Amino acid sequence: MKIVCLLKFTPDVDSFEYDYTNHVLNRENSKMIINPDDACALGFALNLKKKHPDIEIEVVTMAPLSVKSMMEDVIRRRVNRGTILSDSAFGGSDTLTTSRIIAAYLKQTEYDVILTGTQTLDGDTAHVPSQLAEFLGIGQLSAITKIDEESFINGMPEVEVDTENYVDVYRIPFPAVLSVRKESKYRLPFVRYADLEMDVSDRLQIVDHKMLGIDPLSAGLKGSATKVVKTYMQTYEQKDKIIVHNDKDGIETVYRFLKDNGYLK
Amino acid sequence: MKKCLIFLEKNYEKFCVDLLKTMEEIFGKNCTSYALSFDSDTEAVNGRFDKIIKVSDENIPVYDVSVLTGILSEIHRKYQFDCILVLATYFGRMLAPAFAANVGTGLVADVTKIGHYKDKIEMIRPAFSGKLLAGIINTTEETVMMSVRPGVFLYEEDRNKDTEIENYIPEAIRPSKIERISRKEKPRSKDIRESEVLVSGGGGILEDFDIIDGLADRLGGMKAASRRVVDSGKADRSIQVGQSGKIVHPKLYVALGICGMLQHVAGLNRVKHMIAVNTNKEAPICSLADIVVEGDASTFVKNIIERIDREK
Repeated sequence: MKIVCLLKFTPDVDSFEYDYTNHVLNRENSKMIINPDDACALGFALNLKKKHPDIEIEVVTMAPLSVKSMMEDVIRRRVNRGTILSDSAFGGSDTLTTSRIIAAYLKQTEYDVILTGTQTLDGDTAHVPSQLAEFLGIGQLSAITKIDEESFINGMPEVEVDTENYVDVYRIPFPAVLSVRKESKYRLPFVRYADLEMDVSDRLQIVDHKMLGIDPLSAGLKGSATKVVKTYMQTYEQKDKIIVHNDKDGIETVYRFLKDNGYLK
Repeated sequence: MKKCLIFLEKNYEKFCVDLLKTMEEIFGKNCTSYALSFDSDTEAVNGRFDKIIKVSDENIPVYDVSVLTGILSEIHRKYQFDCILVLATYFGRMLAPAFAANVGTGLVADVTKIGHYKDKIEMIRPAFSGKLLAGIINTTEETVMMSVRPGVFLYEEDRNKDTEIENYIPEAIRPSKIERISRKEKPRSKDIRESEVLVSGGGGILEDFDIIDGLADRLGGMKAASRRVVDSGKADRSIQVGQSGKIVHPKLYVALGICGMLQHVAGLNRVKHMIAVNTNKEAPICSLADIVVEGDASTFVKNIIERIDREK
């Protein structure tokens, strides 16, 4: 069985620094991490591979080459192969174009199932898994919190999907795109001590637009169907606030406020 | 006359009606509103839309995005909508992208505001976890598509439409491979988006999170939480306020030990009154508050409960 795990390396949004004087986002100082939902998907695959060593796992990401060392670290977790879809022509691609590029690669690749996360920390759009499935003409489910291992091994996975009002169980046969949520609690195993320095360069490939047969003009900013035309600072109306302390007067002020505005019946 | 289609999702009918407000901000009054319904409650939205396109074939697996994408594409080919709006629920977040891929149009997720850029519709959404807002246009000639989180736009007009219902029979239905084996309904508690008063706790009251109930009860409101509290496992995700939680618009918001990073504040929409309790009076949330109580949030809760009870 071959599993493709799609990963995105995202900036850890909580570590973003915003330069309020120049109105720019300082991304240089922000730490890159494996998107948490995607890490759960890979965690599930690697744990299953421990029990079924014949499973082959390929990790695919679309990113600048700066992620190479992080990708090598991913491969050291006993991943068979890593692929970085990387090309200067891909920079600035929106979700639709990103999905097209990833789909172009997957159409040339063999796989039984594609595992990925539901949402990303940075963009938070959740577009790519569904668009990919549409381009590949296969089934897709998001918000998966549990994958039944036995049925998965048999190519007919039963998955639990936890949404706002329901917990559903679906049967979704291979090939399919299964997008898990971090609530699934599948954990990415650590790199074994002996593997920390392992040379994995022969298991890593870089794929560019030529290898995918993609016209550079149809990728990146130029080839995208959406374009950012403006950015704004988030502004909020400042109020004439009262500052009080947690003492008798302060509590009385709050109490009066609640009473006068009808919040205490 | 422009044509706008709103996907009417079961259990979210009320929030889907709010998308009429989004439509108005895009096109003004010069637009015919269409709703597409599979299994939703069309009675609940009577008088809201100009037209409801109803596909009520029981054999359609309404949970299979691929099947619905095929039908939606067929209907779109017939009507040529100028704009398609989808609520950003779990399902909407699968359907909208799949459909956008099918017709090759751009899609903008979680739009919070509409603007106009040259002759294009500008879709404004939070970027970088709410730290910035980005104005985005669709560069194709195709239909403009966006998803909108529930509760971001509020439609307050009366039921003034003579809704026409078209029972639509799809010409072709894609084969479905997905099968729903079981469905369990979660215990339905009241939605924090419907509460007029929210007492919300953050990292500063994490250890005493449960005492919030006492204050919420006395104010006739509900308990809510920040992402930090939810991630720590002390509260359910259904009560999380913020960009990655729910967008709420209560009359009164009591923020207890919440720092108020933009991620959280992005979840507050048209809050009339706010009380912020924080040990740091310079915390971002405090700039939005009517009253800032500088101090420990749990002590505040105990004190204010005692004060309220004294009057009874």
